[in-house]
Amino acid sequence: MTPKGLRWLLVPLLVVPLGWLLFTGFGRDPREVASPLIGKPAPDWTLTTLDGEALSSADLAGRPYVLNFWASWCIPACVDEHPVLASAHDRHGDDLLMIGVLYQDAPADAEGFLAHYGDAGYPHVIDDGGRLAIEYGVTGPPETFFVDADGIVRDKQFGPLTDELMADRLGAILGAASR
Amino acid sequence: MSRWIAPAAAVALLAAVSVGVIVAAQAPEPTSAERADAIARELRCPDCQGLSVADSPTLPAAEIRRQIDEQLAAGASPDEVRAHFVARYGEWILLAPSSPVVWVVPLAVVVVAGAGMIVWLARRRPPAPPAARPDEVLRHRLHDEAEALDA
Repeated sequence: MTPKGLRWLLVPLLVVPLGWLLFTGFGRDPREVASPLIGKPAPDWTLTTLDGEALSSADLAGRPYVLNFWASWCIPACVDEHPVLASAHDRHGDDLLMIGVLYQDAPADAEGFLAHYGDAGYPHVIDDGGRLAIEYGVTGPPETFFVDADGIVRDKQFGPLTDELMADRLGAILGAASR
Repeated sequence: MSRWIAPAAAVALLAAVSVGVIVAAQAPEPTSAERADAIARELRCPDCQGLSVADSPTLPAAEIRRQIDEQLAAGASPDEVRAHFVARYGEWILLAPSSPVVWVVPLAVVVVAGAGMIVWLARRRPPAPPAARPDEVLRHRLHDEAEALDA
């Protein structure tokens, strides 16, 4: 090909990758990044539940658990995923611990939410000052972390869970038998 | 060319002096609060859109700022403080990327494109001198007309 012909090749060579970059870059939420915590030990914490009892990550040792950051003001996402969490809690019983973490929410508002949308009976801890949210690198509710029986973070859900997503994420922390 | 030497030297001297003044002005060791501010300006507020921890009034931003102060007071270096938050949020928490690639690539593109431009301009043939034809045509016409007059 002559140099003149090659020159026309320059245009698609520049435009195509640039267009692809812009197209894919603007199509995703920049906060939806893979958590650097995955594969690492889950952060330790001791917090108070809505019932006023102390709950600590040490109390969960040896069992897989789901940590769901939520808020009563997180509408509709937290409302949408609420039944998903409740049904997973009901289905797995003692094989799986479910813990709600209030993200910048007043305990009274959270109690009102649970009274309205149904309380599945699993504990919710009050994250005073949002320290646990920072330990987990949470940018906004809902975000859910899946921790296996060895205390290792195995998966993270950014945004509301559906039954399919829940089943998929739980696969990472539950034994094949209890799935 | 020589008439440019004096102004160029003056500009260079002025630049050197101003750099010296700026460096001297920055010499005092930053206080712990200034170091915390500098880190807070580099960290993204987790629940905002494009705001730094220093610029945001939200609760998580305030807590991150408190943790920066706490860690600096405990003797952590600014790099260690940044690494602490990167370990939780990923590189996303840094407002300016730490990877040198993103800084080097645009610079490399500009340099390569500039070099390409210079080469292209240098190789471009100077426009050909106007052809002598009109004069020739004119000369022929003059010749013809003179002959016609003679005839």
